[in-house]
Amino acid sequence: MTRGVRWSVLAVGAAFGFLLTVSGLGDYETIHDGLLLEDPYIFLMMGSAMAVAFAGLAVLRRLGRTRYAGPLTLPHARVERRHVYGGAVFGVGFGVGATCPGMTVVMTTTGGLYGLVILVGLLGGLWLRGRVERRQRQPLSTEPTPPVAAPA
Amino acid sequence: MLDWIGPQVPWWVTGPGVGLCVVALYGLINARLGVSGAWLATIAPVEGWRPEPWRRSFLLALVGGSLIAALVGPPVVVHGYGRLSELLGPPALMVVLLLVGVALGYGSRWAGGCTSGHGMSGCAAGSPDSLVMTATFFSVAVLVTLALHALTGGRL
Repeated sequence: MTRGVRWSVLAVGAAFGFLLTVSGLGDYETIHDGLLLEDPYIFLMMGSAMAVAFAGLAVLRRLGRTRYAGPLTLPHARVERRHVYGGAVFGVGFGVGATCPGMTVVMTTTGGLYGLVILVGLLGGLWLRGRVERRQRQPLSTEPTPPVAAPA
Repeated sequence: MLDWIGPQVPWWVTGPGVGLCVVALYGLINARLGVSGAWLATIAPVEGWRPEPWRRSFLLALVGGSLIAALVGPPVVVHGYGRLSELLGPPALMVVLLLVGVALGYGSRWAGGCTSGHGMSGCAAGSPDSLVMTATFFSVAVLVTLALHALTGGRL
């Protein structure tokens, strides 16, 4: 990693973690009340995040290139069954626990020790899926990212 | 320090803020911001593959940023696990939460992302897989929550 890449990742990651924490979504009630359709916070936050990111990406598309990693290549993948099945399994966890991988971090850092229990389960679930894929002789799933360019 | 903003920073700050984080990561290093991918990178050594180097830095920064917010941000009071811990005793709650974690991990790897990777970053890029995954998990989560609400007589 070049210095530019490292500092970019550290700055964005820290800002993201800060914002998730002050959003109060580490508290069970916030997401739970959202999913009960009683508190619009999560939908407004998610919707405004998507809208801002959509607008920002329109600008980036015009520029066509990134600061440290060459030409911009945004993800564009067709729908497969795994997106529905995986999404459904994820949705059950999201519904019952009213939390997600990012919020689990928030819960733990703000002193909610039950967050640690979820974290252990999360790592176990990621590993378990890898084990199933290996059994099925599939290539292991990782998340998509274009290669980070070599130092300029 | 930031007590004056109350227990929850309004959505019109946090939403656009995380949206800008998504744009920044694409624009700086051409990468899709995702938390489950960062956690996946931590188990890569166990499975014998090499994750992209930025994943672990991202996770460290995420935890760091969250800790800073926990220290200087609005007071977050976590007693137990909300209404779920009023319904279940600690042993049962731990089992349920462990299974919640397994579902989140298993599902996100199967689908190739979670609320951030697919929900924010992928949807904002207009990727069809992300739009379908996000619609699926939000619908299932709402149905599960409404079902729990009904089954527990409104206690959840």
